[in-house]
Amino acid sequence: KYIPPPPPPFLSINWFRTLLDTFLCCEAEFKAVLVSGRDPSQFSKPPLDRLIPDLLERAVKALDVCNAVSHGVELVRHWQKLGQIAAAALQQTPIGEGQVRRARKALATLLTSMVLDDKDNPHGKSAAAAKDRRGSFRSLSWSVAKSWSAAKQIQAMSTNLAAPRGAESTGLAMPIYIMSIILVFVMWALVAGVPCQERNGLATHLPVPKQLGWAQPMGGLLEKMGEEWKKKEKKGSGTGLLEEIQRMEKVAQSLIDFADSFVFPLEEEKAAEMAVQVAELAEICRKMEEGLVPLQQQVREVFHRMVRSRAEVLEVLEQVSKSSVPVPY
Amino acid sequence: MGDCNNASTESGMEEAEEELIAAAQRILKALESKKYLTEDARKILANLGLQLTNMTSLFAESRVIEVESNEEHNEIELQLNRISDKIMVWEKDESMIWDCGPDEAFEYLKAVEESRRLTEVLENRSPDSRNDDSTLLRRAHDLLQTGMNRLEDEFRHLLVQNRQPFEPEHMSFRSSEEDSMIEAGSVISSGDDSVDDVAAAAVHRDSMGRSSVDYVIELVNVDVIPDLKSIANLMFDSNYGRECSQVFANVQRDALDDCLFILEVEKLSIEEVVKMEWKLLNSKIRSWIRAMKLFVRVYLASEKTLAERIFEDLDSVGSVCFAESSKAAVLQLLNFCEAVAVGPHQPEKLMRILDMYEVLAGVIPDIAGLYSGEAGTCVTTECKDILKRLGECAKATFLEFKNTVASSVSTNPFPGGGVHPLTKYVMNYFKTLTDYTKTLDEVLRDEKDENTPREEEEEEEGPTGTQFRSFFDILETNLEVKSSLYKDEALRNLFLMNNIHYMAEKVRGSELRIVLGDEWIRKRNWKFQQHAMNYERATWSSILFLLKDEGIQNPGSNSISKTLLKERLQGFYAAFEEVYKNQSGWSIPDGRLRDDLHISTSLKVIQAYRTFVGRHINHISEKHIKYSADDLEDLLLDLFEGSQKSLHGGHRK
Repeated sequence: KYIPPPPPPFLSINWFRTLLDTFLCCEAEFKAVLVSGRDPSQFSKPPLDRLIPDLLERAVKALDVCNAVSHGVELVRHWQKLGQIAAAALQQTPIGEGQVRRARKALATLLTSMVLDDKDNPHGKSAAAAKDRRGSFRSLSWSVAKSWSAAKQIQAMSTNLAAPRGAESTGLAMPIYIMSIILVFVMWALVAGVPCQERNGLATHLPVPKQLGWAQPMGGLLEKMGEEWKKKEKKGSGTGLLEEIQRMEKVAQSLIDFADSFVFPLEEEKAAEMAVQVAELAEICRKMEEGLVPLQQQVREVFHRMVRSRAEVLEVLEQVSKSSVPVPY
Repeated sequence: MGDCNNASTESGMEEAEEELIAAAQRILKALESKKYLTEDARKILANLGLQLTNMTSLFAESRVIEVESNEEHNEIELQLNRISDKIMVWEKDESMIWDCGPDEAFEYLKAVEESRRLTEVLENRSPDSRNDDSTLLRRAHDLLQTGMNRLEDEFRHLLVQNRQPFEPEHMSFRSSEEDSMIEAGSVISSGDDSVDDVAAAAVHRDSMGRSSVDYVIELVNVDVIPDLKSIANLMFDSNYGRECSQVFANVQRDALDDCLFILEVEKLSIEEVVKMEWKLLNSKIRSWIRAMKLFVRVYLASEKTLAERIFEDLDSVGSVCFAESSKAAVLQLLNFCEAVAVGPHQPEKLMRILDMYEVLAGVIPDIAGLYSGEAGTCVTTECKDILKRLGECAKATFLEFKNTVASSVSTNPFPGGGVHPLTKYVMNYFKTLTDYTKTLDEVLRDEKDENTPREEEEEEEGPTGTQFRSFFDILETNLEVKSSLYKDEALRNLFLMNNIHYMAEKVRGSELRIVLGDEWIRKRNWKFQQHAMNYERATWSSILFLLKDEGIQNPGSNSISKTLLKERLQGFYAAFEEVYKNQSGWSIPDGRLRDDLHISTSLKVIQAYRTFVGRHINHISEKHIKYSADDLEDLLLDLFEGSQKSLHGGHRK
């Protein structure tokens, strides 16, 4: 008897990978609905003459979000490497001051990078301080334009999103609306999950129509994640909701405390405690090692897919709007 | 309780030993008196003898080992004390060791290497050596970590302090001609002047696809490379390779970021690029093209060499570090391509997109050569994807332009019947496009227009030729439609004559001739000449009728009626003046064509007039001759100048 594997833990790397897989399926279905088998001349008439350009613009914004998220994952990979240094050092037996200091150094760099909130712009006032604390990897995180803000981007993507009513709700307006909501939610989730530039003021309410049946699970997720987000914002943490990051932050903090209070020789009890933490850190790093690169590849796949779909829709649009405005001569 | 056991074991052992000694003494005694031994006995005793020898030598050995172990332990401890001083003294010192001179650096390295060696020695010592070995081991690791920590900082310091400034202006193959080409090529106006600039500059354009030899510069002062190498080797030997790689990757990533900044490559979001106004985007693309070639062929190549030199003794570390540090910069450059490919398909963009396509296609082999393994496949695949998208964008832009031309609708006829701005734009556009025929062949493949009838010479033609033909057919069709707006048939034909002549001349006088072939030109020549003839007929046929000899006789006789003659002449003059009034405002922009028509008209009309007047001069009074043939000849020259004149009232005599 087949027993399906348990669902991945909420907000873990695998959870996000599942989310992206689901998104890709929805996108494929949506494109089929939009592009094939429909009368393309509808595209130049209301309401599609407004909805489709909106959709295309939203897609472009989403491309930038994907890029920011890719960079964010890169930063997390960097954290993973620091974690691996610390774990390897602390797994030496017998443990001595040398290994503990080594681990502490890696953990301190890690935590500093995590705790810095993401409005710490590399070219801003605190640039010098940030550079010292981060240990000169400024260009690692923010490879996007200085003025770009993930929070503002999500905000912009959520405008003009109203459920079609009455006569409009037949035809293509509804699928476009549904897909747009899905897109905004997924982008929001990614931005909340991994470190991205400038997430201050990230909205925790999106125009998800909770009264509509299909949107309820999404609404529930949004609420749950929104709560988590608000909690983290209060603590001033610049990491993200990704489960592995959260766990890493906790375990790194506790290991640093351990390192600060380390005295040789280590009591058996303390040693056992520490071993548990170190094992957890090693496991988190292992999960990251396995999952982060595939996650990046998936984000890239989402990017490519949106580019392609957008190009196809544009092609249809260009054919349809053949009748151009007449010129005087 | 344990003690008790020990005591009983000990006394047990003592007892057993006493028994052994007693047995041995008995054997000795027995041997003293024995003269003869059986075979068996001898064997047993020999065995015993052997066993005894082994035992004693083993015992002796372990005694030696123990002594040696103690000696070694003490030696190690002494060593640790010595190097501890050497290492710890720097912990209080703020200055960088490598700034203090090669001797200091060498001593420090030696000390740290020694601590590493000692950890190895201590770890390999036999497990039942002294307990306080572990203390020494701890100390050794402690020293090692201190050393590694310090070396990390020194490594970073050396890399940063010895960076050579990157000055792209001094790069020898950056040609200013290239810049002027791109400048001129960005403006495709309707005027022929700027088009000549484009043509001239286009000749200078180098084949950007050509892959030149990588030009490696010294990114870091070559004097410190051996130091960096020594530190890296030691760190890796000591199992601190991760820390070393990270420092290198971080520092170099920043350096590459700076490089892009110097090359004026901005961090733009895709949205910004998509919304950017063309003039600004054009200059950004210029920067990108310049940057891309320099960056890949010079800077990246140099980065790789640097990594390989520093990590020379360490297998694949160099290429891994290089991949890590350069990833972000390469992605940033590629992202700009993506953004341009995603943008709107305005026709003026096509040349720039093709430029980017060619540059990217040109550097892909270089990139493939710089990266190996998985990182290599990843980056190269990414590049090829983006190249494909650029190609698709180029094709879409081209087809969109075709679309625009096909559906361009005018409400009024073009005043003056001259060359339509659309014709000029399209022909100049395509003249510039001939620079890109090879790339266009790649990009336009599989999009053969099924609607154009294929003639013989098109069989071997590439997609470019087919597309160009098809495009010009569409232009011609569009011009025909535009010409139907003219109510006046003469003007309609003049318009078509002008435009088709323009097209033919443009093709004949440029590389388009190679693309389209002489047959195409011949056909267009024939066409515009047809229109010229139609124009003449439409203008002059009815007027020339007036200069015929039939019908000027008096009814019923053969004599010429003076009245009818006068009427004829007056009719002729009126019609001529009408033509003059209208057609002086018409335009034939091409000088030679204008001359041709003047001559042709003169031959037809003026000659007929001259003959007519000459023949009937006896029947015409001078006052009825308004214009001499020469006068008319002169007036004809006013035709097609594009400025309307009138002859009412004034005439020359």
